[in-house]
Amino acid sequence: MDYSNQIRDIAAKLFAEGKIDVFVGYRMSGFDDNQVPVVITDPKETSVLVFTEKSVFNLTNYLKADHTRNKRVGLVVKGCDSRSLNLLLTESQVKRDKLYIIGVACEGVVDDKGNKMQNCMECFIPDAVVYDEMLGKLQGKKDYIVNADITELATKGLVERREYFEEIFENCIRCNACRHSCPLCYCAKCCIDQETSTLYNGTNTSSSAFHALMTWSLHLAGRCVDCRNCEKACPSHLPLHLLHKQNEKVIYENFQNHLAGVEEGDRGAFYKYSLKDPDDFIM
Amino acid sequence: MEAESKDKIVSIEKPELIAPPDWKPVIMGILCNWCSYAGSDLTGTSRTQYPPNIRIIRVPCSSRVDPWFIIKALQTTADGVLISGCHPGDCHYISGNYYARRRFLVTKELLKMVGFHGHRVQFSWVSAAEGAKFAQVVKKVTDDVVKLGPLHLYKKENFNR
Repeated sequence: MDYSNQIRDIAAKLFAEGKIDVFVGYRMSGFDDNQVPVVITDPKETSVLVFTEKSVFNLTNYLKADHTRNKRVGLVVKGCDSRSLNLLLTESQVKRDKLYIIGVACEGVVDDKGNKMQNCMECFIPDAVVYDEMLGKLQGKKDYIVNADITELATKGLVERREYFEEIFENCIRCNACRHSCPLCYCAKCCIDQETSTLYNGTNTSSSAFHALMTWSLHLAGRCVDCRNCEKACPSHLPLHLLHKQNEKVIYENFQNHLAGVEEGDRGAFYKYSLKDPDDFIM
Repeated sequence: MEAESKDKIVSIEKPELIAPPDWKPVIMGILCNWCSYAGSDLTGTSRTQYPPNIRIIRVPCSSRVDPWFIIKALQTTADGVLISGCHPGDCHYISGNYYARRRFLVTKELLKMVGFHGHRVQFSWVSAAEGAKFAQVVKKVTDDVVKLGPLHLYKKENFNR
């Protein structure tokens, strides 16, 4: 999977035609063979753009940044990125007519060690669902697979799970990188921050991490697209996907196979209801 | 609420933790204004006895309950949370409890996964005419939480300086 040349050509063409003001893509980090996001405003710089299986980040996160606001933006999206873009469009965070979207038929991205990422192995929408131009061969939809870690956790006992998650929450340093790297966390003022000064005295404890991560994942439930920007950004390498995948599984199994952002106009599972939703857990 | 048995009460999530003999559970009740709060009012005016461990908070609708409220209650003082609203179809705001129902299921399942017992967070539909049912619900939740023992997970007072 190498679309570097096509993306360079398209970006140069878009700048020449005056269709975009900025282009969001990937470039080599300069230190190793990993890639970092880059925001290009100068047409001469399009030669730095690359796209290979190392292009791991979700670029829709940069649509909420200052350097793309109220500008015409060109950007590259993979399957998962396009789903978060779909949600941002329905939530009126970006305007479709200001975007030029290059969709990619993604064959899966790799982590630092060169192994295919877990979410790519379980990916059910590899192709971009919203795009102006498509690169690569379409692969079509696949079946939804329940995350292997969630299936394994479900077999463990209550105390075992409690110990496992206590360690996760203890290792969190409350840097909020997960929140800042999430394309769907765009609130100007976050409810987690309202509590920080008075409740926690600025300390990071497992109590404050529990509060922050659980609230964060429940506010993303039914919207998370499993792009794993949060995990890539986490300096403590916490398995944050566990919280999201658990919510995704419960939502998929109980609410008419809902998967966030797959269809155009989807607003997430909690913005609609069905009379047939499960009721047996309520007295 | 008197403890049901004279045996030691052990926290189910932390078996090494034994409750002090005078331990009484604290249950946070979040009740919808139009049905459950009126129902709890009826329980009081009809002089029905129910455990005093519940601390009631009134909200306009059960869909006002953000999962955040449940997380914060468990993290501060509560050993259990009871959320109660109108029966499906009876919502004062037409469909609020249908939206709430979805959120409750996901919240409960996530809390169960991270190591909370399922009975820590309970939900009920109580209408304004069901004063007796409200007393039963509170009794059941209190009994359940007494069996589970004190909740000492991620409590913020454990970290106070």
